[in-house]
Amino acid sequence: MRVSSYSRLRDVSYFGSLVLFAVTVMLACSPRANALPAFARKYGLRCSACHESWPMLNYFGQKFKDNGYQLMNDRDAPIWQNPSYWPVTFRITPIWHRVSTGKVMVDTYGSNGAGGSVVTGSTLQRVSNSGFDISGLDFHTGGTLEKNISFYVLPSSNNAAQFHFETVMGRLDNLFGSSWLNVKLGKFELDNLLSEKRILTLTGNGGIYQLYHFRPQGDGNVFGQMGDNQLGLEVMGHSWNDRTRYSAALLSSVDGQVGLPYGSNAYSGFFTFSQAFDTGKAGVQRIGAYAFVGEAPTNWLTQTGPNGATVIPGAVGNKSFSREGFVGQFYFGQHVDLQVVTQHGQDSVWFGQGYGDFIDGVASGNNTTGTTLAAGAQAPSWNGVLVEPHYIYSPQLIFIGRFETIRMSQQSTPGTASNFGNISTYTIGYRYNPFMTSRAGFAWHNEYNWLHQDGTAPDGTNLNTSELLMGFDFDF
Amino acid sequence: MQRNNLRKWSSVFGAAAVVAFAMPSSAQQTKYDFETRMNIESHVGNITGHAKDAKPDYRRYCVGCHGELGDGNGENFPWVDPKPRNFQLGVFKCRSTPTGTLPTDQDLFDSIGRGFDRSNMPQWSTFTKQERTDLVAWVKHFSPRWVGEKPGTPITIPPEPEVTPERIKAGREVFARVQCWKCHGVLGQGDGPSAATLTDDLGRPIAPFNFAEGARPKCGDTDKDIYRIFMTGLDGTPMPSFADNIKPDEAWDLVFYLRTLMSQHSKEKAMAKQLGLKPVDPNAPAGQQ
Amino acid sequence: MSKTKNFAVVLSAVVLVCCGALILGQKVNAAGEGKITGTVKLDGTAPHMKGIDMGKDPFCSKAHATDPGKMETYVVGSGGGLENVVLYITEGLTGPAASQTATTEPVFDQKNCMYTPHVLALDVDQKFKVTTSDQTTHNIHPLPNPMTGNIPWNQSQPPGAAPVEKSWKAPEVIPVQCNIHPWMHGWFVVVKGPYATSDSNGAYTINNVPPGSYTVTAWHEAAGTQTQKVTVAAGGSGSANFTFKAK
Repeated sequence: MRVSSYSRLRDVSYFGSLVLFAVTVMLACSPRANALPAFARKYGLRCSACHESWPMLNYFGQKFKDNGYQLMNDRDAPIWQNPSYWPVTFRITPIWHRVSTGKVMVDTYGSNGAGGSVVTGSTLQRVSNSGFDISGLDFHTGGTLEKNISFYVLPSSNNAAQFHFETVMGRLDNLFGSSWLNVKLGKFELDNLLSEKRILTLTGNGGIYQLYHFRPQGDGNVFGQMGDNQLGLEVMGHSWNDRTRYSAALLSSVDGQVGLPYGSNAYSGFFTFSQAFDTGKAGVQRIGAYAFVGEAPTNWLTQTGPNGATVIPGAVGNKSFSREGFVGQFYFGQHVDLQVVTQHGQDSVWFGQGYGDFIDGVASGNNTTGTTLAAGAQAPSWNGVLVEPHYIYSPQLIFIGRFETIRMSQQSTPGTASNFGNISTYTIGYRYNPFMTSRAGFAWHNEYNWLHQDGTAPDGTNLNTSELLMGFDFDF
Repeated sequence: MQRNNLRKWSSVFGAAAVVAFAMPSSAQQTKYDFETRMNIESHVGNITGHAKDAKPDYRRYCVGCHGELGDGNGENFPWVDPKPRNFQLGVFKCRSTPTGTLPTDQDLFDSIGRGFDRSNMPQWSTFTKQERTDLVAWVKHFSPRWVGEKPGTPITIPPEPEVTPERIKAGREVFARVQCWKCHGVLGQGDGPSAATLTDDLGRPIAPFNFAEGARPKCGDTDKDIYRIFMTGLDGTPMPSFADNIKPDEAWDLVFYLRTLMSQHSKEKAMAKQLGLKPVDPNAPAGQQ
Repeated sequence: MSKTKNFAVVLSAVVLVCCGALILGQKVNAAGEGKITGTVKLDGTAPHMKGIDMGKDPFCSKAHATDPGKMETYVVGSGGGLENVVLYITEGLTGPAASQTATTEPVFDQKNCMYTPHVLALDVDQKFKVTTSDQTTHNIHPLPNPMTGNIPWNQSQPPGAAPVEKSWKAPEVIPVQCNIHPWMHGWFVVVKGPYATSDSNGAYTINNVPPGSYTVTAWHEAAGTQTQKVTVAAGGSGSANFTFKAK
């Protein structure tokens, strides 16, 4: 599961700064996915055929995915493949990075008068760390079991080799011979046109789309995270050439956590629609919209447990949330494009007041019988936008920029500063593939991210974090 | 026995190739040659394509098989079958034009979008029309043929007549008379007496189309496409043109009969079943097969 | 009109046309043309030519019931004369002799599932006809290298099919095959200028050679090529004999 680091910065201490560092590392190394040289090998296509720059899909790759990892010819079914073909890919990223966080509460020391030192207090200061590191390891296997029956399984580890299932799904494609009806069951990525699992950046804060994970400060709704893979059922369809596409997913509101949470009957829906337009020399433009609406639990049958303990959500007390927005993929010829996502988000007032959040076992509030909300509490809402331009020098070299900003429009607790928890972040970077074949992927990656949050430093002032990262990103 | 003969022949052909190359004017293409043809244009509908605009797309999507030099010698060459097209030769299977002539821009445009079933060439339907037209110009710039030579005149295809049992029977007669079964087999299963020894123009083994296996014909699966396939031939393969020997009206009959051999459901198939149509008998005297 | 009469008319027309062509040709050419003659021989014993199993096509096997078909890679006459060698001039041709096109229209026939002749020499742009005498479908499929300017084509000829008339744009040795009958292989040898093909005794005559010094090249499909210098006097004749070794 992905937890953004800024929400953890409130109770910073000496220990906290260590946690911060650990979380950052975890984020940098958390599973992101789907560049599959196994597919390239299966079909004899170069990475660049399906990826604008791997792992990000281009239109042809999106169509391939929407067809259930099929090119829609006789080479799709494994029965037509070389029997020794085995569709497995791994991906890992050794890196060097430097993380710098402003205003971390650290200890101050004084002499104990006997040649040693004692903690005399604490102070705020900038903490910068640098070092070598590795990411977790992803094992992708995906493709077709038979014509029009697809699968994807992704056991993924953190950088200490502790594995979990990031993706497990089977898919029935082209039901009744129609590309308009495909059904997917399992744990899968939401149908985001701009996919976080295929993000081109790797840093802790820049390696995720903040927009896909945003919650107001103190908000208890861990769900509503569009960036995380979810458990559910998806119906998806598209026109033959993928110009028009839709999807509708029914999800368990468990943020992809496996093991049935007792008594939880909370579901959510994720809906998308998009249409592409032929604009001649400029390329194919696509605009679309998404809506993520549903309920998540705020009531627990057991008391708040310690970190990681099982808490049992109650059958009542599900509260609603929604995220909706537009997506645009604009191309200006074969070298420049611009990806845009907007979001208006709203959580129930209960989430805004800290109820919910059972998944990591630290539900901050339990909505038991008779619980009342603080006077004047309101449902928090916010607006955000993500703009990601690319300059593609060649299929082997891409320059990436990103700007995201998220602004609170209504705070849950009256009297809170209107900008509290706002985020702005810039990311710039490039990925260079020294070779481009249909066998393996290898990229030299260099990236810088800067993230600004309003009012989240321990002293209530603004907090700036930055990270510089370079490394090899490869898969085979 | 036959196999021995073949081996013998292949060595003879090898010697011939050496001789052929010793002769003048079999020029080796270089990047410089391509540069001189970079201003080649293509025209599809009212869109004009320019070779130079397609370069990034070619590099992104095509080069792994067709190669930097368009010679079909990309890194996948050893592993894919059928082999990628060598654009330098300017010889193409799917044409609306007679055998031995260049295809039209529209033909190449259609081929890119349609892809080739039973090959590694997918359907490149995601391009804009402009991008695809540019790629047509790019494909052309690899071959000097497009400088001095004009595309052939597309064959005329009369309007498709109504399918009748008589026409299906007549199509069967054509199938017997021009001996399609020599390669494709009497049931169209690609198992005719000559099927095993077929090779393409570069001497690589090639299989005749199996109508019964449910695959799409390489150059399209509309009735018109099938008409075109046997009337123009698939250049570079053993499939000849029958334009001189099948009249246009008979050609439609043959299309209808070929439909009865395909595994896909069709009007023709139902009619043939009703007629109790038997496969042609190669051993019967001519005219009664 | 009876059939014979018909034939007579056609024949006389053909003769007339041929004579006309000859006369025209004479006019174009400078006076005093000579020729190059000689014999091509194969050294040693002729290699054994394998028989051909035509069992897959009943028509073909029936046609060869009494005279089994065999490969024609080396066709050697009595006295070691090597047939199917193409002799042409590779150096020394100038003026009209180098640029004019032969006006005869040779025939390349598919007969009893073999090519007759096995090797057809042609001038650049010279028209030729492909005919079929067989009651089985052939496809006539020459395989030139398109980079030379010669374009591959592939046409079917079912029984009774009309002749196909074609020509080649550039000098090249072009293999031709029938995919339906894989043993059917022949050659179009396209050259620039006067040429000859050796007969069953290995003898040849290149006509219409103006006086001068030339390099004559002899090409055989398997034995390779040889060259010789020849001088032709005005109205006279040069001589060049070749001896190949079987490979």
